[in-house]
Amino acid sequence: MQDKKRLVYVCEGGDCSERGSIELHAELAEVLHEKDPGGKNRLRKYPCFGGCEHGINVVLFPDKVFYSHVKQADLPEIVEHLTGDGEPLDRLTGKVAKDVEQIVWDLLDTGF
Amino acid sequence: MAIDLQAKIPNNVDLANDPKLQRALEHWQPKYTDWWMESGPSDFSEEDIYLRTAVGVGKGGWANFDYVKMPDYRWGIFLAEAEPDRKIHFGDPVGQPAWSVVPGELRNRLRRLVVTQADTEPASVEQQRLLGHTAPSLIDLRNLCQVNVEEGRHLWAMVYLLHKYFGADGRDEAEDLLRRRSGNVDNPRILQAFNKPVKDWLTFFCFTAFTDRDGKYQLAALAESGFDPLARSTQFMLTEEAHHLSVGENGVGRVVQRTAELMEQGIEPRSVGAIPLDIIQKFVNDWSTSSYDLFGGEDSSNAAEAFACGLKGRYREGDGLYKDPRALDQIYTTQVSENDKLTTVEIPLRRAMNALLLDAYHADCTRIVDRWNRTLQKHNIGQKIQLPSLRFNRQIGIHGGKTYDPAGNAISRDEWEARKDSWFSTDDERAYVQSCMVRVTERGKYANWVAPPAAGIHDKPVDFEYVKFH
Repeated sequence: MQDKKRLVYVCEGGDCSERGSIELHAELAEVLHEKDPGGKNRLRKYPCFGGCEHGINVVLFPDKVFYSHVKQADLPEIVEHLTGDGEPLDRLTGKVAKDVEQIVWDLLDTGF
Repeated sequence: MAIDLQAKIPNNVDLANDPKLQRALEHWQPKYTDWWMESGPSDFSEEDIYLRTAVGVGKGGWANFDYVKMPDYRWGIFLAEAEPDRKIHFGDPVGQPAWSVVPGELRNRLRRLVVTQADTEPASVEQQRLLGHTAPSLIDLRNLCQVNVEEGRHLWAMVYLLHKYFGADGRDEAEDLLRRRSGNVDNPRILQAFNKPVKDWLTFFCFTAFTDRDGKYQLAALAESGFDPLARSTQFMLTEEAHHLSVGENGVGRVVQRTAELMEQGIEPRSVGAIPLDIIQKFVNDWSTSSYDLFGGEDSSNAAEAFACGLKGRYREGDGLYKDPRALDQIYTTQVSENDKLTTVEIPLRRAMNALLLDAYHADCTRIVDRWNRTLQKHNIGQKIQLPSLRFNRQIGIHGGKTYDPAGNAISRDEWEARKDSWFSTDDERAYVQSCMVRVTERGKYANWVAPPAAGIHDKPVDFEYVKFH
């Protein structure tokens, strides 16, 4: 990777966007702008992770953390973790199949 | 920039303060409407359809859902929000400010990129124009109409770029986009997969699963562009495109599910008008491989130059995932058939940009096929859908004209000829699928070859009245 920033991906696939991921991304962008002014994290949208049954999905890379069933109410704790003041939210991990997670990590680990 | 929804052409590009451009687009608008009425969805213009319309690009909700008659859909021009002081992040101009106008030396190359992308948007609408008559449920008819109106909006997005940034040449190209027709012998669409007929819903679902997914990757690569208006246009198109892909992924998944349910009960799918797995596999073989070709040659000087110029990046280039934003001094390795045996070939990374994008696409397709196979497994079916190798059935690129089996093993021409009917649907099989296509218009009811969707649209139940007939 070119830099050390953590990538924070919010899925904007069909199922996740039906559940409000576009709005969640916008909310997260606003909070991170305020709470992470140094920019440890780079917030991005992602077309689909394939964990559609468990959306809204949010993925952290290179941490390889796959959050599922994310709701607006989870954002304060997620942001605490992203800014270094909190732990990963175990209650939101481990929902999608391991092979689905692995495909995502393979896609993000480009080899180039 | 807020969206002006009251304007004749809804937009967030301040069209009202560019009267010359506004006039040009308002001149093009009735021609677009004529094209839509002639080549867009056949009939259904009077029906009230529960559609999503883009109304914003930021926080606070980007779309409105309501009943709309398709000809009244508000086709508009929407760019994603600008990133202040955006810099080009790949290729030779890395670090330079992103362009807000077209650099003269890149004009022709950029115009060709825009036109090629633009041409696919009306093409798919034309391919699907008769499908509404055999929709297997109200929600499927609604989804078809949603896909169609948004492909029309994507045409608007590209035509805006042509009119605004490419002068008279761009205006001519915009006219030509309405003149070409999918499958027309004399004036076909540019890319071959967009000239293939889409006459049944299994084909439609395969098209939206595989061919629209190519569009996602092309748009994603253009969303990295150093030409900022193109990047922002395609970023917003990706937001809409996500639904189209889920229509395809879930659609094929629902066909697989229905077939699996029947097989689990010991019922032969053909005996009840459902679609056997071997036919589904053949449709997957056809549409996945014709979509591979849309990426272009694996070893491509055109792709190298588009990358080098900063016009078209790699997948997720802006995320900083790659070690070298210039992609110099690296080698891409792949295998190709020589004398019916696989041989390793090396391609300088810049020349392998199409191959890299295709690899990302293939991984995504692997994910969706795995999802379908989990459904089969859930119903205790041992058979699996196989995603063909990137070498199989290729017409262009380093594998073009060579013969491989679906697993990618090099085979002789004789073996290919002997086995091809086991890989691709026959006339009889296509006729059988066509015979399964029966129109269902009762709320909450579905044709017998497809399972209901797991969820409705925008929190509505699956048996919601998604289309009100008049």
